[in-house]
Amino acid sequence: MSGLLRALRGACAALALILAAPVEAKPIAFANGTTVMAEYGAGTMLEAQAFYAPTYWLSAGGGAVRFDSDITDRTRDIAYVRVNYLAKRWNLPAAQANVFLWGGIGSATGNTFDGNRLARNVGAQADYETRRLYASVKSDLWESPEFSQRVDTMQLGIAPYAHDYSTLATWFVVQARDYTGQIRRGVEWAALVRLFKGGAWVEAGLTADGKPQVMAMFNF
Amino acid sequence: MKSQNLIAVAIALCATTVASAATIEMDVNGLVCAFCAQGIEKKLRAYPATSDVVVSLEEHLVAVSTKDGQDIADDELRHALTDAGYTVNGIRRADESLDAVRKRLDEAKH
Repeated sequence: MSGLLRALRGACAALALILAAPVEAKPIAFANGTTVMAEYGAGTMLEAQAFYAPTYWLSAGGGAVRFDSDITDRTRDIAYVRVNYLAKRWNLPAAQANVFLWGGIGSATGNTFDGNRLARNVGAQADYETRRLYASVKSDLWESPEFSQRVDTMQLGIAPYAHDYSTLATWFVVQARDYTGQIRRGVEWAALVRLFKGGAWVEAGLTADGKPQVMAMFNF
Repeated sequence: MKSQNLIAVAIALCATTVASAATIEMDVNGLVCAFCAQGIEKKLRAYPATSDVVVSLEEHLVAVSTKDGQDIADDELRHALTDAGYTVNGIRRADESLDAVRKRLDEAKH
């Protein structure tokens, strides 16, 4: 078992070297699409992911995430595989709303315990968007014999203009993020600018503490 | 003789019209994000009969043109959009070319 966990962690760590930081966009982009995402989250969280969606309602893949506590000197690294599921979608004439669920397992290491631990992951996201307004709430829980932590994120975005299919989309996003499990004290607020065109999406900004947050995502 | 030539030219022109490409327009719900709507274009371009695709978030419209003499059935198109995660409200065959549709959509923005 420990050999399997080491191999899994090695594969996801390699992936993490290529990719960078978590994205609050939809966990499934489109059918027969591959999505790679990476995020640097203000020094508290660093994550990379890659998923393939055989259908518009299911994707599978993996990633690696690192948590650096702002409260103690605790660090945690988790390499994981995950399945994402679109539980419900509402297609309206000028809007779309979605509910996503996901679950996965991973191998966790940390500086407060020796060796690897099997970690379990479960999460959910609900979002609503028009061409000018975006709102999402997301909760992501990791549990292992050594720790239990959850990241809750809310985003509200507004677009200064309505983008079309082949034009640049520009959004101004306010994000509130809360960590449990001794990762960070208090809610972390951030102001972000989001740009996307074609299959490329980038998002960058600062937290209220002046720390950078950057995310990039590519669909192909 | 002259009239026979004219008739022959007219028949040839009609034959060309019958065998020309078709433009199909679909009214689609949920079209609000270009990043996610790429799946629609990807699905439609996979059909051998597809010549070109236009997606308009502004008009909630997906239009596809087919190659000369070829067509894609309404059921197939509806299935493709549903498989891409969207809802089709209506499908119609248009007399205008896809370039004309594109121009109409551009003019509607200004």
